[in-house]
Amino acid sequence: MSQLIDRLLFFKKYQGKFADGHGVNTDESRAWEDAYRSRWESEKIVRSTHGVNCTGSCSWKIYVKSGLVTWETQQTDYPRTRPDMPNHEPRGCPRGASYSWYLYSSNRIRYPLVRKQLVALWREKRRTLDAVSAWKAIQDDPETRRGYQKQRGLGGFVRVSWDEANELIAAANIHTIRKWGPDRVVGFSPIPAMSMLSYAAGTRYLSLLGGTCLSFYDWYCDLPPASPQTFGDQTDVPESLDWYNSGYLLVWGSNVSMTRTPDAHFYTEARYRGAKSVVIAPDYVEVAKFADLWLHPRQGTDSALALGMAHVILREFYLERQVPYFQEYAARYTDLPFLVMLEPAQDGASKPGRLLRASDLAEARYQTTEADWKPLVWDAGQNCPAMPRGSAGFRWEKGGRWNLEPFDAVTGEPLTPALSLAGNTEQATVLFPYFGNEGRFGLNEAAPVKASTVPVRSVTLRTGETVRCATVFDLMVAHYGLSANPEEWPDYNANVPGTPAWQEHITGVPRDRCIAVARGFARNAEATQGRSMVILGAGLNHWYNMDMTYRAILNMLILCGCIGQNGGGWAHYVGQEKLRPSAGWGPVAFAGDWGGPPRRMNGTSFFYAHTDQWRYEQMTPQAQLSPLASSVAWPRTVLDCNIQAERMGWLPSAPQLTTNPLDVGKAARASGQDPVAYVKEALFSGKVKLACEDPDAPENWPRNMFVWRSNLLGASGKGHEYFMKHLLGAPNNVMNEESEQRPAFAKWHEQAPEGKLDLLITIDFRMSTTAMFSDVVLPTATWYEKSDLNTSDMHTFIHPLQAAVNPAWEARTDWSIFRGLAEAFQRLAPGTLGEETDVVFSPLQKDTPAELAQPYGGTDWQTDKSFAPEPGKTMPQITLVSRRYDEVYDRYITLGPVLENKGNADHGLNWDTVAEITELKQTHPSVSGKYPERSSLFQDTDAVETVLMLAPETNGDVSARSWKALSEKTGRDLSHRLGGREGDRITFADIITQPRQVINSPVWSGVSSTQEAYTANWLNVHEYVPWRTLTGRLQFYQDHPWLRDFGETFATYKPPVETYSTPDALGAEHCNGNPVISLNFLTPHQKWGIHSTYAENLIMLTLGRGGPVVWISEEDAARLHVADNDWVEAFNRNGTLVARAVVSQRIPAGAAFMYHAAERTANVPGSEITGKRAGIHNSVTRVVMKPTHMVGGYAHLSWSFNYYGPVGSNRDEFIFLRKMNKVNWFDGTDKGQETSV
Amino acid sequence: MNWVEYFFFQIYPYLCLVVFAIGCWARFDRSQFSWRAESSEFLEKRTLTWASNLFHIGVLGLLMGHAAGLLAPSQITEFLGLSAHAHQLLAVGAGSVFAACAAAGGGGLLYRRLFNTRVRATGRPTDLFILLFVYMQLWLGIFGLPHSLMHSDGTIMETLGAWCRGVITFQPDLPALLVNIPLIYKLHLITGMTLFLLTPFTRLVHVISAPIWYIFRPGWQIVRRNRHVANEET
Repeated sequence: MSQLIDRLLFFKKYQGKFADGHGVNTDESRAWEDAYRSRWESEKIVRSTHGVNCTGSCSWKIYVKSGLVTWETQQTDYPRTRPDMPNHEPRGCPRGASYSWYLYSSNRIRYPLVRKQLVALWREKRRTLDAVSAWKAIQDDPETRRGYQKQRGLGGFVRVSWDEANELIAAANIHTIRKWGPDRVVGFSPIPAMSMLSYAAGTRYLSLLGGTCLSFYDWYCDLPPASPQTFGDQTDVPESLDWYNSGYLLVWGSNVSMTRTPDAHFYTEARYRGAKSVVIAPDYVEVAKFADLWLHPRQGTDSALALGMAHVILREFYLERQVPYFQEYAARYTDLPFLVMLEPAQDGASKPGRLLRASDLAEARYQTTEADWKPLVWDAGQNCPAMPRGSAGFRWEKGGRWNLEPFDAVTGEPLTPALSLAGNTEQATVLFPYFGNEGRFGLNEAAPVKASTVPVRSVTLRTGETVRCATVFDLMVAHYGLSANPEEWPDYNANVPGTPAWQEHITGVPRDRCIAVARGFARNAEATQGRSMVILGAGLNHWYNMDMTYRAILNMLILCGCIGQNGGGWAHYVGQEKLRPSAGWGPVAFAGDWGGPPRRMNGTSFFYAHTDQWRYEQMTPQAQLSPLASSVAWPRTVLDCNIQAERMGWLPSAPQLTTNPLDVGKAARASGQDPVAYVKEALFSGKVKLACEDPDAPENWPRNMFVWRSNLLGASGKGHEYFMKHLLGAPNNVMNEESEQRPAFAKWHEQAPEGKLDLLITIDFRMSTTAMFSDVVLPTATWYEKSDLNTSDMHTFIHPLQAAVNPAWEARTDWSIFRGLAEAFQRLAPGTLGEETDVVFSPLQKDTPAELAQPYGGTDWQTDKSFAPEPGKTMPQITLVSRRYDEVYDRYITLGPVLENKGNADHGLNWDTVAEITELKQTHPSVSGKYPERSSLFQDTDAVETVLMLAPETNGDVSARSWKALSEKTGRDLSHRLGGREGDRITFADIITQPRQVINSPVWSGVSSTQEAYTANWLNVHEYVPWRTLTGRLQFYQDHPWLRDFGETFATYKPPVETYSTPDALGAEHCNGNPVISLNFLTPHQKWGIHSTYAENLIMLTLGRGGPVVWISEEDAARLHVADNDWVEAFNRNGTLVARAVVSQRIPAGAAFMYHAAERTANVPGSEITGKRAGIHNSVTRVVMKPTHMVGGYAHLSWSFNYYGPVGSNRDEFIFLRKMNKVNWFDGTDKGQETSV
Repeated sequence: MNWVEYFFFQIYPYLCLVVFAIGCWARFDRSQFSWRAESSEFLEKRTLTWASNLFHIGVLGLLMGHAAGLLAPSQITEFLGLSAHAHQLLAVGAGSVFAACAAAGGGGLLYRRLFNTRVRATGRPTDLFILLFVYMQLWLGIFGLPHSLMHSDGTIMETLGAWCRGVITFQPDLPALLVNIPLIYKLHLITGMTLFLLTPFTRLVHVISAPIWYIFRPGWQIVRRNRHVANEET
């Protein structure tokens, strides 16, 4: 009982011996043992996961002891796979295992916080004014407004109550909507798949307001534009289990063991099984240790290597010898047999034009609906063009001919398209552009235009004109440096574009290695019917010409028939994009249950315009055009391209109009005429203008911005310092002079605006960089404190986030935070906002009939006034939406009626869902006074169950209906693919019990079961479901005019581009006596964190060097006189950062690696150059946009949220690097200096 | 006799002893895991090795000397044939040696605690405080040495011993015994008592729990290590 009293018997402790005197019996207190027992005790273990965009989606046990989360360990109860397949466990990594540190760390945000200056203003105004007027009064005085903006990032947060914070934000939103328009209220939150209801909370609130939701997958540059270009799909990839099925694995620009830690064991197991593996990366990357062969092409030149390999594959497996499997695959599943019309080029030669369409021909049998979208092949039997099934033109018509069955769409007879027209006497000289002469590095000189002889057929068009046509295959053979005539084939050792020797000059990879890998890859595919796989990732996708690299690699896979086969195909893992129950989630997230459309904006264009990065633009579209480009009428600047894309309905806009859309809506309703026609005419006549044409005018600024589940400023904000300067008006390190370029379509203001945002609100659990620069910071629940859902492309399970404990301190779940805002909004709106008419512009959206708007590219109605624009055809769709600002809260907490009337839809499929809504009304009755008869979305758990009820992936009945919808569309019965799971339900109670595999759904292109792994494009290959592309097949060839002008009809080699960030004068200007050299700046994913999360977690900081580091090679370190762990400063026109140098033989000379993202809050000292707190990795980057990604209204090249659109690449960037002489921490010892963070 | 002396030499000793006894008991019973020396060897070893050993040898010697000198009745010294003068010389001689050890070792420990960045950053303010306090007590004792040498007849030591024995035998009028004692001894007494007072609240509790029995435990396991290799690692 008492320790002391127990010890009084100390001398009577020994009771005797046993075991021949080796053991002793004692009589003493054993109470101390309880300490060790209770050390590992927990009162409950709760299943949750980490919502952090790592793609892991691992199931974890969260331990709770005395009401506190103590630690987490990996769950080990995944359902097992079939015998002879490895199981999923273990899943998890050290970052996840350190997450519980955050819950009670000093970095946790505990209370709602408001910037001191702002809260003082607010409280002063509130003494005499109501909330909305108080906010108006603050905004109407430019000096007070700038006053608190300038304090952003300088600390000084004051704790406020939830009521006060909600009132301030709601008042700001109301005032902004009334004065400027609802599209000036903007929200950024990424990757719904990582915690989908937390995402949905904010977007639901914004969508009920008419606010703008920004995309992220493209902004992060995780979206591979090559995927929509080739597959017509955002991204669909095999789960990691499928690696095990592969016989030949190329791991290319992806560091699987480091960034896919929980999945890496499948790679090891595949190696044990005997798979051959080649790792391709410029540095001796961690995953290289798994490889049979490590190839290290110079960074950013990978497309040349892939082209060299495909050259070998084409020659040895298509021309010298025909592999039956490849031939059949190419004819059935690819656009290789399709006919391309040749266009006249210089000197009587031709160049490839667009695909021949049914509408081009005069014969009556081609005159069908959407004939513009029905490209033709050459029927070898009939010796004439023929129309195969399955192309885009069949998708939106009735008749069930949208499938890949090998029949003529007109006659229904079997159709054998010719891959090649060789053997025919007709030939043409065709010109192909070559781009290897210009760029920052990786050049290999050759003629800019190359002529080749290509077999052709003449076809007479309905215009009477005769045009020569070649198959995509014949053109591609020529493009790859080969020819139908074996005598023209270059030697592998000749430095001729396309050959292994040519790529060696660029990449440095020896030609024999290139040839050997190409042969091994193709031979394996031949022997296994396509079980060759490429795992590829950010190392390739973050370059400006990433689509060239990806397409060059995809071409290898397609030529070898690997797409759609288990163990084969492209495995792109960048970003946790796979939101499996998307159809159930969509209406909840974007308030589609109350009508729409929502305002969704592509992040890259938005930030490019509104952080004024365009004012510093040095690149031009003209400089990038192919020497064969026909059109001289290219927009002058990159911003002009974007503006034109917005006008033509290719890309979305935000804000949309220079005037408040509520005022336009009111005028349209009052006009008495058709409101849509009224808006269209107002726009055409210039009475109403598009906001994108003047992004710097105050009426076009974004005004209120929500950031949640994101560290926009600390991790993903390319052009960080421009964000600081122009969007926030905060202290910054911009060292750049503005560009001399002047856009043709956008108004130029001599003085660039600083501080566009009235209010920046961040919702987070930790004090991230973004939170530090915000005006209001709201404390949210961690991943162990809320109910939510999490899915990944790495496996087919659906995981819960679950509340192990209640949100600590005053934190609330995201769902209840936005519900609270909605409540405050609804309370404060009357008097300022009531029932309003909003005019919403939406682009020609992918997977809707509008994707067939512009069959031959578009014409800009603003520059070409010869025709009147037509909404939804030549300009954005215009919708008038009735907003009920007096019902925001009631609608937020209630599932609306639209789904009952219109059904649910996803990926162009539509199905009825009345039964599910009816059931939800019974199981989750409404708590809203206004809508008592509907179902409830009050709690996060209500929202979770609603998603699970509505999604085909978690409700077998819904899935059955969606399969029926696809069966009707394709004319093929696909109901058996449901796998007998009709009636199956996955509820929250199920997934918190054990990981549950989702139900097969036609929303995705593959199926899975306990017997076989999920792989993408499986349905296309095995069930003849067309790809959602122009030809309905895998697209080698891109025939949109903009892509043709860019010379990107086929994948080609384009060297890294010049970003003009490191002019010599700048390096000389900032010399501190140490040598300065310029290096290519690469920002791969790190080992001890996921993006910026965990980057300031003490446990992870102890594993690394505890702060920002830049890795450089030994050669460059010697040139810089830098020793390992020295402080260095990296700078260029965009800004500056400081870090410690890691000198490693792993890094290739000429490159600097800064693993993203170190938090600006952890161990970042001051810059020697600017005398301010130094920046982060993105301080030296600036986003550069590629115009070809802006194309829209063109079947697979159509915009959809996170689907297609310009991506925020950054790896072509260069920095100056130098050693620092002194490190200033600004820690209070030199008070006279700068006080910025 | 003023009230200050009455408090310090009649009441304070009991206050200290009671707090010491009850405090140690409470801490031992309630907070077993805090009953430790809190060694910082893990953070710094080189200085610690010599400084700590020297300090502990010195302090333990002084502690035993004080116990013997102050608590043993004069009958025992007389029985042993030690005159008061010889007793005093023995005390001063042995005391000086141990005090020198303790002062040198303590100085090393103090230097380490103040200027070794890892120890400084990891330690608590009380760690520094208690070390400073013990060190101060040590120097107060050393400052008394000249007095002792001046009065080598041993009367001061006799008087202090009588006072100590008076405390443990609950005698009244204890302050009266100390009327002619120099101030430096009085201060040394007060801080000495304060050490008892502070013990339950600091790492000093480890004085009571020296793991002597560890040496006599059954079933030894001999672990050898290669000093050469170990040194190379550091």
